[in-house]
Amino acid sequence: MTAVLTNPLRVGLRQERVIPPQCLVIFGASGDLTHRKLIPALFELFRQRRLPSEFAVLGCARRPWSDEEFRARMAEALSDEVADHASAWEQFSSGLFYEPVDLQVPEHLVRLGQRLEGIDRLRATRSNRTFYLSVSPTFYGSGCRALADAGLLNDPLRSRVVIEKPFGRDYGSAEKLNRIVQTCAKENQVFRIDHYLGKETVQNILVLRFANTIFEPIWNRNFISSVQITAAETVGVEERAGYYESSGALRDMVQNHLTQMLALTTMEAPGRFDPEAIRNEKAKVLQAARLADEAEPWNCCVRGQYGPGGSRSRPIKGYREEPGVNPNSTTETYVAMKLFIDNWRWQGVPFYLRTGKQLPKRLSEVVLTFREAPVHLFDAAGGSPTANQLILRIQPNEGAEFRFEVKAPGSGMRSRPVDMQFSYDESFGEPSDEGYVRLLADAMLGDPTLFTRGDEVEAAWRLYTPLLELIEDSPWQLPVQPYEARTWGPAAADSLLASDDLMWRRP
Amino acid sequence: MTPQLTLQAPVELPPPELTSYLEKLWQHDLGHSSGASTFTLLVWQPAWVEQHLVRLGRLEGPVTGVVRPEVLEAAREAVDFCGLPPSTSPLAPELAWALGEHTGVDHVGEDLRGQHVESAISAYQPRRLITLAPTLSKSAGLETLVAAYCPLSEEGNNGATCGDVVVLRGDFDALREGLSLLQPLVPDDLPCWVWWNGSLEEAPDLLAALSSPGRRLVIDSALGPPRRCLDLLEERVNSSTAVNDLNWLRLRGWRESLAMVFDPPGRRESLSHVVHLDIDVEGSHPVQGLLLAAWIADRLGWHFVTSYSMDGDAIGADFERSDGTEVRLKLMPVPVGIPSSHPGTIVGLRLICEPDDRQPLCVILCSETGGCMRLEAGGVARMELAEDVVPKVPGSDEMEMGRLLGGGHDSTTPLLAAAAPLAAKLLPH
Repeated sequence: MTAVLTNPLRVGLRQERVIPPQCLVIFGASGDLTHRKLIPALFELFRQRRLPSEFAVLGCARRPWSDEEFRARMAEALSDEVADHASAWEQFSSGLFYEPVDLQVPEHLVRLGQRLEGIDRLRATRSNRTFYLSVSPTFYGSGCRALADAGLLNDPLRSRVVIEKPFGRDYGSAEKLNRIVQTCAKENQVFRIDHYLGKETVQNILVLRFANTIFEPIWNRNFISSVQITAAETVGVEERAGYYESSGALRDMVQNHLTQMLALTTMEAPGRFDPEAIRNEKAKVLQAARLADEAEPWNCCVRGQYGPGGSRSRPIKGYREEPGVNPNSTTETYVAMKLFIDNWRWQGVPFYLRTGKQLPKRLSEVVLTFREAPVHLFDAAGGSPTANQLILRIQPNEGAEFRFEVKAPGSGMRSRPVDMQFSYDESFGEPSDEGYVRLLADAMLGDPTLFTRGDEVEAAWRLYTPLLELIEDSPWQLPVQPYEARTWGPAAADSLLASDDLMWRRP
Repeated sequence: MTPQLTLQAPVELPPPELTSYLEKLWQHDLGHSSGASTFTLLVWQPAWVEQHLVRLGRLEGPVTGVVRPEVLEAAREAVDFCGLPPSTSPLAPELAWALGEHTGVDHVGEDLRGQHVESAISAYQPRRLITLAPTLSKSAGLETLVAAYCPLSEEGNNGATCGDVVVLRGDFDALREGLSLLQPLVPDDLPCWVWWNGSLEEAPDLLAALSSPGRRLVIDSALGPPRRCLDLLEERVNSSTAVNDLNWLRLRGWRESLAMVFDPPGRRESLSHVVHLDIDVEGSHPVQGLLLAAWIADRLGWHFVTSYSMDGDAIGADFERSDGTEVRLKLMPVPVGIPSSHPGTIVGLRLICEPDDRQPLCVILCSETGGCMRLEAGGVARMELAEDVVPKVPGSDEMEMGRLLGGGHDSTTPLLAAAAPLAAKLLPH
């Protein structure tokens, strides 16, 4: 992002919704997510004056910390922000509290209820509570049940529960978890978070499609020949080997982030901008999606695992050499696959999804390739005309780009492709909020638009069930193929598209 | 959106029986329904132009108080009939005064003010909607009407949350008499909004009585003498008493469009180098233009130096930027063929920035319905030109009210609070 002056004429123009008095209770407060994402997002909301004065955060974990220790640890984790905004932090941190809680111990829940009543009196938070389960996924069900048994989810208007990803490990476990959660709370109390939906550019897919008349008429099988969705990371597994070994790229990225991008790109227009209307359409399109070859998924999916790479001066370890990773691990760090959506809009259009670690670039994008002109009237500089492409850049260089053919200057009638670009940075210059800022605010406001509903999660898992079963039951049919770190994945991923006479876009 | 009628025909009651009737209504007749726990809306609804148009037979009744297209059309025709300048807005108090001069014709139309509830407002389910409807007749005693009201939502009306409407109708004296009935009708435990939907110069004692501290006053600073409008805004801001202004809300498109011009980071530096601001407004009501100028001056940190009257009812003002450079404002009334509904609507804006080491920038914003030829003339060819058309804010005053009610704005917006006192200074005495 360019460092720019703020636009003084922008200040105060946007009417922000007002978050009601609130106590946000974070379970897993001693964990990584709390100090890396949640507390920074809340502090950002505080600095934007979007938190009410009647606000408190109650951190809960098994460690026997005090309020002061919790505040000190958070201050240490946010040392740069605290140094820059010392007085704001002082004010904000006076609303941070800590209570040692083990969700499996009923007495702790009783004590938690009493502590919350005390905070209500102290901070006037009026019993409005958002419980954030930032704990191991194995505790999501029992955590909800413990909260419900303690009566903390009784009031559907004042209590909400936010559940981190992954929501289940497969269709069966997601369905089971949904059943448990739905016996503990009403669906409108449950906020299943996918931080990708907090990104401005992901939300912009909806605006681009449904606020403009030029796109929607051509947003279908008659005009679009294929769609590619890519989420590429340059980092490896880092300190998450323990989690990653049991999830892999399919569960970590595809089932949630890529699937959400797929749903927003392909859903029908909702009747109105309303959480349920939007989530209905997303669920419907996911229910219509399927692997290109469900009977023999190895024909439409490629798994990969990064091996050593890099240069002699800066070598990169292979996945199996990373600390905490099984030296014989068959966990995939790369997945590419082909899907179809069986509905009137998308019948026959292939959707290619890919994600991987240790790829050459960090980027997320959706690329819609349009059908070629029926007759080629002109010579093309590149041999044949390039199909029109609309590229929605989710990150970095957030924006959109449209590629089309123009006449190349000169006496002949030769065409060549050019790009028409829109960049958030150039047009707005404002760094967009971290996804958690938006999502935490929405959860506290009770707005579920950017959260996944139970049936949506199940539809997403159901989509990948044939693949997960294959990996579980006969992994040799879909082995992980090695690729050199900082390359664009295994050669088989290219073959997946080559068989359709296509290529991955090289960003 | 179509206005909705109350489901039940309003019952006309002797004023002393009003309170007891409402108690009976809620305890017995509406026993199956929960009263909306929302707010009370008190509306001053003179609809003078509409009343006169119906009286003169220039518009078919009933009188509803809702500004329908037929009312606007008949009012536009009446501007010519009354010999007023063509730039006179159809809702201008001057038109009502001029129509009042035409006596001798006395068509009688049904008066349904307070009984037509615009869906933009009923969507927020007011617990009690009280309308004060002054009559043209100067000898009309107090009439009181009551009806229960259950808005029908598009999704059906399971578990209807009902409210009631109360209409107090009569001449000024009768309504003054009715004030004593009002207090017990306003539930203490719910917020109370007061919408003064008329000129700010009429019945100042009633306005003061209705908008007592604690109530959320909504005015329209396009209606009434500019000095009175700006002084009232300033008084409320200075006394930290909540005030909202529909005229300010209608500026939304202008503020957004101007901010949008400076969204690209490459343009922002120019905002520190503004030397000239021109604003053209319809007719001779400068308040909206002054509020826009004051907002710009406040946001860009200019210090007010002086203001003065200029030829042709124009207003000039000088500011000083933080670097000491002078900035000149000129607010010019311009004639228009078809005026907007509200007096003093902005037609165009020109902002000239002269950065030291860059090409000057000229920003011209023009309303969708007006022309900007005056602003486009005059040596802007050497400048980088940023031109845009400001879309007309869609919707009626009732929709703006709906936004206010839905947004729960119980205090004066900080931007209006900063702009209103400065706008008051900009209007020469």
